[in-house]
Amino acid sequence: MTTYVYLSLIPEALIASMLPPDDFGLYYAIGSAKRSRGQAIFFSVDRNKLSGDDFPLANVDTRCVAHSDGRPKSSLYLSIYRVLERVPREALTALHLATDDGRVLTVEPKQFVPDGEDRAHLYQEFCPVTPRIVSHLNPAEFAEFITRAERDVHVPRIAFAELTLGNLKNDPDHHDIDNLPYPNIGHLRDCLRELSKAPHKASKTVLRQMTQEVLFRTIRNGVFVGDPTGISAFPLPSRDALEREYRAWWRSAQSTFGH
Amino acid sequence: MPVWFWLVPIASIVALGSAYGFFRQMMKESEGTDTMAKIAAHVRAGAIAYLKQQYKVVGTVLVSLTLVFCVLAYVLHMQNPWVPFAFLTGGLFSGLAGFIGMRTATYASARTANAARHSLNRGLRVAFRSGAVMGLTVVGLGLLDIAIWFLVLTRFYGTDDAHQVVVITTTMLTFGMGAAVQSLFARVGGGIFTKAADVGADLVGKIEAGIPEDDPRNPATIADNVGDNVGDVAGMGADLYESYVGVILASAALGAAAYMASGAEIQIKAVIAPMVIGALGTLLSVIGVFFVSTKEGSTAKQLLASLGRGVNGAAVMIGVASLGVLAAMGMPNLWGLWLALITGLLTGITIGRAAEYFTSQGYSPTKRIATASKTGPATVIIGGIGEGMMSVAIPVLAVVSGIGLAYFFGSGYSFSTDTMSLGLYGIGMAAVGMLSTLGITLATDAYGPIADNAGGNAEMSGLPPEVRERTDALDSLGNTTAATGKGFAIGSAALTGIALLASYIEEVKIAISRVLEGGADYTFPNGSTLLASATDTLQSLSLMDMMTRYEVVLVNPKVIIGMFCGAMLAFVFSGITMKAVGRAAGLMVDEVRRQFREIPGIMSGESEPDYARCVSISTKAAQHEMMLPSILAIAAPVVIGLIFGVPGVLGLLAGAGATGFSLSMFMANAGGAWDNAKKYIEEGHHGGKGSEAHKAAVIGDTVGDPFKDTSGPGLNILVKLMSMEAIVIAGVAVAVHLV
Repeated sequence: MTTYVYLSLIPEALIASMLPPDDFGLYYAIGSAKRSRGQAIFFSVDRNKLSGDDFPLANVDTRCVAHSDGRPKSSLYLSIYRVLERVPREALTALHLATDDGRVLTVEPKQFVPDGEDRAHLYQEFCPVTPRIVSHLNPAEFAEFITRAERDVHVPRIAFAELTLGNLKNDPDHHDIDNLPYPNIGHLRDCLRELSKAPHKASKTVLRQMTQEVLFRTIRNGVFVGDPTGISAFPLPSRDALEREYRAWWRSAQSTFGH
Repeated sequence: MPVWFWLVPIASIVALGSAYGFFRQMMKESEGTDTMAKIAAHVRAGAIAYLKQQYKVVGTVLVSLTLVFCVLAYVLHMQNPWVPFAFLTGGLFSGLAGFIGMRTATYASARTANAARHSLNRGLRVAFRSGAVMGLTVVGLGLLDIAIWFLVLTRFYGTDDAHQVVVITTTMLTFGMGAAVQSLFARVGGGIFTKAADVGADLVGKIEAGIPEDDPRNPATIADNVGDNVGDVAGMGADLYESYVGVILASAALGAAAYMASGAEIQIKAVIAPMVIGALGTLLSVIGVFFVSTKEGSTAKQLLASLGRGVNGAAVMIGVASLGVLAAMGMPNLWGLWLALITGLLTGITIGRAAEYFTSQGYSPTKRIATASKTGPATVIIGGIGEGMMSVAIPVLAVVSGIGLAYFFGSGYSFSTDTMSLGLYGIGMAAVGMLSTLGITLATDAYGPIADNAGGNAEMSGLPPEVRERTDALDSLGNTTAATGKGFAIGSAALTGIALLASYIEEVKIAISRVLEGGADYTFPNGSTLLASATDTLQSLSLMDMMTRYEVVLVNPKVIIGMFCGAMLAFVFSGITMKAVGRAAGLMVDEVRRQFREIPGIMSGESEPDYARCVSISTKAAQHEMMLPSILAIAAPVVIGLIFGVPGVLGLLAGAGATGFSLSMFMANAGGAWDNAKKYIEEGHHGGKGSEAHKAAVIGDTVGDPFKDTSGPGLNILVKLMSMEAIVIAGVAVAVHLV
């Protein structure tokens, strides 16, 4: 039986499992007896691109085996600390977004193409830290900025999503702000105003950390993993494709309460 | 018998025949895929299982009350001997109307979803004509019951003696009580069932487990769909059957009393005029059904317009045709009665429009509640309660204007109390006008749950997006029409309440005449005595004379006590039904949690939840919880009557009527506004689905569920049932009272 290796972003962990992505997402979201619930964001990892020095991979196949009653092993934690920085971007073969009732959307990586010339972007970081940031920088620039070793405050690698700002992306005073589903919306507008008045300022923190689940429907362009060497993009399907081809996931994603 | 009377049985046969025709037409449609048919079968089985349980309970109550009435009629001679049978048939026909409507709806949902796979118009046609089965069955059975009883009683009593005509009409009125008992159980039981399932499905399935609406993994989803049928279809059918026959019979009784001195020919015309208008409206409703169709890709506005063509077309036609028919019948005060009838129609439309304004997300009250959700659930609740309270103003003003104008027109353009009985007849005609096209307005009402269930079926069956878009469009339209339908139901209840108050006095006179015929004198509370030989004097007493002799004035403590008790009852009844929903929902929550915990594979779709158990829990809870409010409604007039006599009962009816009407309007509109505020947010406003505002709005909607679908509609029936019952047991209040 195949042993899969997954990189979970929330919480950060490298996990071996006998479950394929859809089943693992279901298990990870709702647990084995429906006593827990929570969305999951994880990547499929090509274990051949991982370093044996960083993770205990040698005996994975002997440890990740079926239970005595034949049930597949759901999870074997391989690492839970500073994981992302030790998984090369090239090893991430697919992104999986599991809703809190266990529906899984799988997204393949694609070449990153900057989308227009938006004056502002809203980023939700997932790993290794989880603030919500507004920035002038496009995703590639933002990833490079946040992982730049020369800066006092930086991380070696970052996983984040761009969230929709609606019309606020070009005009922070636009009146449609009420229809954005974010908490403390007035503060978001203030941050955008401050950013617009300070072109030299690359980013501004809106929320210090995630306290709730992220609304998948607010993800714009996709999820990104970046480091000083570049960026891997995992763009979500179009709204129309989500409505028509991924209807079950899309409905479930809209039933989640979060921000 | 005037020839126009025969329009009543003819209209009844046409309505029932058309309903059967539409039913057969619907049954010829395919149920679609195996999954669609399987889901529909689950819902159907659950609905039938619930109704069986409900009918057991109601059957026991109906038989018990029949036995009590038998004792009152045959042993104590306090009642007309026909009352037990009239009561029983009213209950049976009311139950039958609800049953047929619900059975049709449960067959129609999958067929509507399947029809929507072909086109929007086909989906609309199947859903609407299935709703029409219910509408036409209700009016058809109502007219049939009226026609049969009128023919039977006139055969026994004749129509030559003016007093006997009054006896006939007030006796017929008692079958309204059977219908009211049936409808109270149907509305309260159905309301508890549907909201327990709804709240259970939402709280655990959606909020805790994060499962979307109408997802087959939710164990309570079938019970939720069953609830739409037993509450919104069967409950509403029984309710409006009772309203319909109540309106016609109360008006007939008022006609008999108002034209007693005008000769037998005029009196009998006044008696059958409300029946004939009802019959005419029924025939026009059948025509109106054929006006409803739409083109592919219609917008919500166009869909609403297509339904409006049917409903408004029938209303315009009745407005014109009723003048011709009243003229052809040779009715006295032709223009006055016609204007009273038109007043009723306009009052109904005004209340419906007001309900739409206060509950639709297209208007500011609902938008304000949605805006309040940005600051959390507390402000949503405050906003909803506030808007709901404000929403009472227009309907109350519409009803009081309607009452005033109808009285003015009916009495020959006067507000004088000398012509009070004629004025009250005018109010009765206004109520008849309001419900004359019930055949089609009820079709638009019953259409809503059918479209809702069709959407659920399409979702659970995984039909393509374009089909779900069509069923969503049909469903969304149903929400708007439901608000209008509720407006008509509540408005007619208010007008009928006034008419029944007058009928109560007539029944009191009959009860006194029974005392006099027994050889005893009768002393009124004001000290005046009617000798046993003074039956003619009794007949000559006007309504105002009766009020004077019973000392029905506001400073009489018996009246005031009755009024306060009536007002209190409206709140206690609402409280009991609200708490019942809370308890039943709690049981459902526990069950859904248990299933998630104990049945592995529900979430992965490997195992099917135990839908039947959720249906069973809702059924048992509804069956158990419906008893207390029903007993309260039945016992109150008896207790007040036995203690305070006629003045106390009149106070009770006035207090319950005024408070119940306002409270019912408040609850229905607040609940509707909360529901649509949530939908408004789900459309993408204030953060859309999943946002904090949405979470607050969901709480508002959950609070509003028992408001609008259990307690609010139940209050109408409480008021009508108490009035009907007061009439049935008038003899007891006349013969025995403590103070």
